[in-house]
Amino acid sequence: MATDTQPNRDVSRTLLAGVERIHETLDSYGLVPTVTNGIALLFVVWTLFPVYWMVSGSLRTRSDLLATPPKLVSTALTVGNYPELFAQRPAFYEFLFNSVVVTVGSTALAVLLGTAATYGFVNYEFPYNLGRFHLPFLVLTTRFLPPIVTVIPLYVIFDTAGLLNTRLGLVLAYAAFNIPFVVWMLKGFFAELPDSIVEAAVLDGHTELGAFFKIVLPMVRPGLIAATIFTVINAWNELLFAVILTSNTEAQTLPVALATFKTAYAIQWELLTVAGTIAMAPVLLFAFLVREKLLRGFTMGAVR
Amino acid sequence: MVRVRYDDVTKRYGNEIGAKDIDITIDDGEFAVLLGPSGCGKTTTLRCLAGLTDPTEGGIRIDGTDITNRHPKNRDIAMVFQELALYPHMGVAANIGYPLKVEGIDKATRRERVEEVAETLDISELLDRETDELSGGQRQRVAIGRAIIRRPSVFLMDEPLASLDAKLKVEMRNEIKKLQRELGITTLYVTHDQEEAMTLGDTLIVMNDGTVQQVGTPTEVYHDPANQFVAGFIGSPSMNFLQVRREAVGSQRVVAANDATFSFSVKGLPTALDDTEPFVLGVRPQYFSVHQSPVDGAAKAEVTVTEPMGDEQLLTVQLDDDNRELAVRAPFDVAVSRSDTIWLGISADSAYVFDAETGERIRQAEASPDTVVPTGSRP
Repeated sequence: MATDTQPNRDVSRTLLAGVERIHETLDSYGLVPTVTNGIALLFVVWTLFPVYWMVSGSLRTRSDLLATPPKLVSTALTVGNYPELFAQRPAFYEFLFNSVVVTVGSTALAVLLGTAATYGFVNYEFPYNLGRFHLPFLVLTTRFLPPIVTVIPLYVIFDTAGLLNTRLGLVLAYAAFNIPFVVWMLKGFFAELPDSIVEAAVLDGHTELGAFFKIVLPMVRPGLIAATIFTVINAWNELLFAVILTSNTEAQTLPVALATFKTAYAIQWELLTVAGTIAMAPVLLFAFLVREKLLRGFTMGAVR
Repeated sequence: MVRVRYDDVTKRYGNEIGAKDIDITIDDGEFAVLLGPSGCGKTTTLRCLAGLTDPTEGGIRIDGTDITNRHPKNRDIAMVFQELALYPHMGVAANIGYPLKVEGIDKATRRERVEEVAETLDISELLDRETDELSGGQRQRVAIGRAIIRRPSVFLMDEPLASLDAKLKVEMRNEIKKLQRELGITTLYVTHDQEEAMTLGDTLIVMNDGTVQQVGTPTEVYHDPANQFVAGFIGSPSMNFLQVRREAVGSQRVVAANDATFSFSVKGLPTALDDTEPFVLGVRPQYFSVHQSPVDGAAKAEVTVTEPMGDEQLLTVQLDDDNRELAVRAPFDVAVSRSDTIWLGISADSAYVFDAETGERIRQAEASPDTVVPTGSRP
């Protein structure tokens, strides 16, 4: 095996030496900041262009949007597409409402159960390293299967339980789906808490439950926020389960609605961009509001 | 009156013993120190009183009331942790006042009490700070403040000074002692630092392997150790132990042929201990008399290391024909250097005798002049 990896290591070493040489050359002309910033800019454009295209598309007429050659910047902006969407599709409100209910409900449930489970795994004694590793790992294995594999049996179960085409059904499905993420995102945070903090809280007069809510949860807040954002995004954007487990406006969510803009005969681009923008806005706004905490949440548990 | 009583408390973790048959009393207002090496069960013993660990057997009473199965918050105790366990998401004042907040005491009273405590601890100007802006000593004071604000009947401390540097340690030590005297709260303090224990405690409870080895005042455990463990653990540098045997030479004090022979009367050795049976002789480094020429009854030794320490010097010496090393404390004016030969004398009243098997102290009772000869390797 060692001999197999040898050429690879040589290649990587040569590559590294090459990169270093380029760096030195650039440095001698004082071009390093320019080049690194240039690469960063390229990446930003690459990532944000689709977003720009969607948002600007929602403000353009169909012919302007589909012009050949494409117009990168439009001069004729209009907000007319927005009322048009609700006029053509009055049910859009219902999809929006369903999405909000399902996202809020499933996130609350996943974060609540995930947090409690993680605290239990980490802080209570289990034999054979069950709590610190094996049980959380078992929870994670539920995500190893491609979702399409689980959705068929879930359909049958939901049918029997009367959960098909209900918001509650989606809430339960999404919560189950997101708990592993919550557990693994919070595990590091809970493991970092010194036992004595909880004990101090108990001696200061709290019950174990009181100490959990008043002392432990505030201390892992960055983790909770990160986990919440993550589950919100997952639930808000989920399409597969929503398509299969719901059948009409009773429970269908925004992603399902978005999919219907593409029919066998045409794609209503100007309306799709409006719907897409509306679908994106709440999550973007939420993430923007908590951006500092979010960053700390994603890095803190991992680093120390 | 707050009297703490441990009735035969035993704590097992599976098959392992955490603490065994702990049977101690801490009197009202007493400053008791649980002392022992790490893993000796001292923290387990403390945690049983705090209610953070449930004893497997036995019970604990405070003022005659059985509190063994009471929730920690209902025991009227406060504790300072080794890691201090300040709440990082609260400021200094909030940390100190937190126990009162949990108790439901109104804000104005809380503020008043916090200021009072802060004044006692000399940290009034820190009340508006965040805990991560504090130095080690300041954090320490905040932790103590949080513990005393409730005016608990028992005060527990688990190695609270462990993370401080040497100078600050001494300073905080004095303050803790003063504070405890002022407040008169019955206190149980855990440490592995014997110097800390000696200076702080009214009573030392020396533990090893989960059991109590000796309970006594600092003077008692130092000068009258119950066994070899206590004798070796208390005092720095440690007591020297030599495995020796008695040389029956009638009623005469005789220096044996071997130069490495101490000659003095070891009083009251049990008669069951025959001349071939080894026992352990314990001598503190400062109790050797150091001679630079042969003296009757003194053992010959070679100096291997000298450590000048101002008024005195610490010598490491090797007994003649023997690879055993002894620590010897000598006045600074004894002019010796490496590889010099010296003669060490011992006086009978400053030597301790221990059973070679059990380590139990063999008390000296009646005079029986004997000579002891080092044998075998050092225990």
